[in-house]
Amino acid sequence: MFKPMLSRRHALIALAAIALTAGFLTTVVPAAAETLTKASLRLKWLPQAQFAGFYVALAKGYYKAEGIDLTINPGGPNLLTENLVATGADTFGLSGGTDSVFAARDKGLPIVCIGVSHQITPFIFVTRKDGPVKTLQDFKGKTVTTWFTGANHVLTGMLAKEGIKADELKIQPQQVSVTPFVDGTVDVITATYYNEFYTIQSRMPKDSLKTFVAEDYGITFPRDTLIVSETTAKEKPDLVKAFLRASLKGWKDAFADPKGAVDTVMAVAPTLDRAQQEFMLTEVKRLMTAGKAEQNGLFWIDPDAIKTTHDFFLKYGVISKPVDLAAAYDASFIESVPVADRKP
Amino acid sequence: MSSAAPTSPSLAVQRGILGAVLLVLCWEGLARGLHLPSYVLPAVSEILAGVWSKRAPLGEAAGYTLLEALAGYGLGCLIGIGLAVAITMLPALRGVILPAATAINSVPVVGYSPLILLWFGIGVTSKMVMVAMAVSFAVFLSTLAGLDRVDRRAVDLMRSFGAGRLAILWRLRLPTALPLLLAGMRVSTVRSVIVAIITEMLGAYGGLGWVIYQAVLQIDFVQVWAAIFVASAASLSFFGLIGFLERKILFWK
Amino acid sequence: MSTGSTASLVEAKTAFGSRPAGLGGLLRKTARLLLGLAATALVWEGAVQLFGIRPAYLPRLSTILMAIAATPRAYLDGFLRTSAETLIGFVTGGAFGVLTSIAFFRVRALREMVFPIFVVSQTIPVIAFGALVVLWFGNTLLAKAVIAFYLTFFPVTVNTLLGLETVDPRQVALMRSFGASNRQLLLRLQLPTALPQIFVALRLASSLSLVGAIVGEWFGDTTGLGVLLLQAMFTENFVAIWGALLAAALLGTGFYAVIAAAERRLVFWSAEQ
Repeated sequence: MFKPMLSRRHALIALAAIALTAGFLTTVVPAAAETLTKASLRLKWLPQAQFAGFYVALAKGYYKAEGIDLTINPGGPNLLTENLVATGADTFGLSGGTDSVFAARDKGLPIVCIGVSHQITPFIFVTRKDGPVKTLQDFKGKTVTTWFTGANHVLTGMLAKEGIKADELKIQPQQVSVTPFVDGTVDVITATYYNEFYTIQSRMPKDSLKTFVAEDYGITFPRDTLIVSETTAKEKPDLVKAFLRASLKGWKDAFADPKGAVDTVMAVAPTLDRAQQEFMLTEVKRLMTAGKAEQNGLFWIDPDAIKTTHDFFLKYGVISKPVDLAAAYDASFIESVPVADRKP
Repeated sequence: MSSAAPTSPSLAVQRGILGAVLLVLCWEGLARGLHLPSYVLPAVSEILAGVWSKRAPLGEAAGYTLLEALAGYGLGCLIGIGLAVAITMLPALRGVILPAATAINSVPVVGYSPLILLWFGIGVTSKMVMVAMAVSFAVFLSTLAGLDRVDRRAVDLMRSFGAGRLAILWRLRLPTALPLLLAGMRVSTVRSVIVAIITEMLGAYGGLGWVIYQAVLQIDFVQVWAAIFVASAASLSFFGLIGFLERKILFWK
Repeated sequence: MSTGSTASLVEAKTAFGSRPAGLGGLLRKTARLLLGLAATALVWEGAVQLFGIRPAYLPRLSTILMAIAATPRAYLDGFLRTSAETLIGFVTGGAFGVLTSIAFFRVRALREMVFPIFVVSQTIPVIAFGALVVLWFGNTLLAKAVIAFYLTFFPVTVNTLLGLETVDPRQVALMRSFGASNRQLLLRLQLPTALPQIFVALRLASSLSLVGAIVGEWFGDTTGLGVLLLQAMFTENFVAIWGALLAAALLGTGFYAVIAAAERRLVFWSAEQ
């Protein structure tokens, strides 16, 4: 009943066209694009100057030069980098810190840390100098806000060392805004050197603030850890080393030309505040070049600092059993890069 | 909701239960059979065990979230019904309120959560405001649709008997609008719980969304799913409650 | 028309009443729309300045527009990306919704077994899913489209079923007496009868898929209006929040208007819904 829509002639012409196009595509289109390995880096938070080196390396083509076609995926609330790297959704991750690496290994996630970015604790506890809190003992009964993504362990650890129990004060989740602290509703606030501390100082003069630094109490929490999955570490060691080489170049460039680095970051997230980003980069540089990194270069894994943190966690029950540090931290990749290339 | 239902209600219920059981079996089989790690998909049995073992904190969180949802729901219904009644009493307002409300709601309600969180902080107030926003528009539209359905002739008849505007509103318009009004209220129940949870996940002191947020960061996916189950149960109970009240009020339906 | 339709789902009426015919009507409508927008803009500017409203609560419209103009790429890319996610979620959710409701309509047992599960699925907070979806699908367009799909299919299923059930059984009998097959019955009678109801759902779904796209972008996406919203929240940049909200409003309204226009073309016989 129906006339065939396609006559034989039409069909033959269509087939010929398809054949020609296929031939064209497979021979003329350069195959060079296929030699790059696709990979992704998941950051621990939204794009900002804290991650400048990676963005600079991407913008300047360092990853491409090492044969990696890298996509940088931002993190954010509700995302845990360890999860995403463990399931293979992302190849590399910049995760919370030594604390989250321990927690992940404790839960059986197959991830390996290949580098530590911030060599010292990047956040502090801030209070008003003229307020009621003069020493750690004064934290008792006060309202303290912190993040429950690792900073809370630093707080409870510092308090425990002074013999204070966590339930002797009011520890609350920290808000997005620093306004409650500035207004006086909150007595003690947790602030990263490069973010909240900047915002607070823009609203209150620096000499009206008192800070509590973890290192003063014998604790150090290296943070911003680079991680990969165990599979990647085992099967693609060259990819990992290439990634580290390119990232190191990017970070060195970022420190050498901070304005250019901030430009790169602003291009990715245009709604950021430029002045704050420049401040952030200066602080991040200080954190990344502190401690052993001065001698051994960026992303150095300091086994002593790691062991101290691990024992601290074990003592205060943050992790349920000892973690195999040799399996969780693999310094071989970063050590494969010559020291000169690692130092900014 | 079907007019021609050849199957008996009990058979339909049985089939519904069968469907649920099949789903649970498939899920359990997948999770166990493929040895899926819990951060991909935990088994149903694991999740239920998790719900039971953490029933105290989960119950507390559920109460917290339901409080936000109920308060916001009540507020939203009042606003929605109030605006619809206002338009009916003062028709000139329609040209102002309706476009304004439509414009505000062309942005998904969740889009406003960053703004509301910054304005009201991360306590329960911000969640109540969000829920009220989400509920008021739906209730407003359905109430308005109900009030618009009133037969003009019936209104004229009552006027001819000397009934005042308020009397007409109370005795004619509202009862006529009741079915649609209650339908809108029923649909909004589940939305109120979900909006409360979504807002909690961006910042809160407690509640199911907060539990999920914590659980993700502590890599406790059994807890994530346990909270999801509890949230689902809470929504369904709320939905059932309003449906029950609707049947009581609309006894003539 | 089926008045029972409004009992289960809410339809959003446009503010512009019934449709005047012809080009003249279209021009008049556009003029009214532009006038309304201009009036709102003036009131916004005026009110903020007059009442001295702090920018933290409501920035001036001009400030917001200038901020968008300062970094147009971010907003444009975000707009396009979110539109793509919304569209894909909408199309897949809509198609799935229609297909499953046809299956439910034909096979009663299937409906009674699976429909309750659909209902329960809608009580699951999709944002909780978001973390899982990103784990499963990575940071792709697919992940966001999945979330949009999830929010879209249910109302489409419910309304298509509703529409299919309003088919007059006598017409079915008539067509069968002429030897119509099941497929012809579906395509020539049942679906066209259900079309008005399907469009009620599609109008609702257009806003739901936008919700899905925005929420999905909160899980570590690189571009999008939801991303802009999140970034602005964490930098307490109120002007940027409002800029993203305006862009989202534009997207939502535009999408809804397209669906409504398609409805007027295809469902020309329906009275004012």
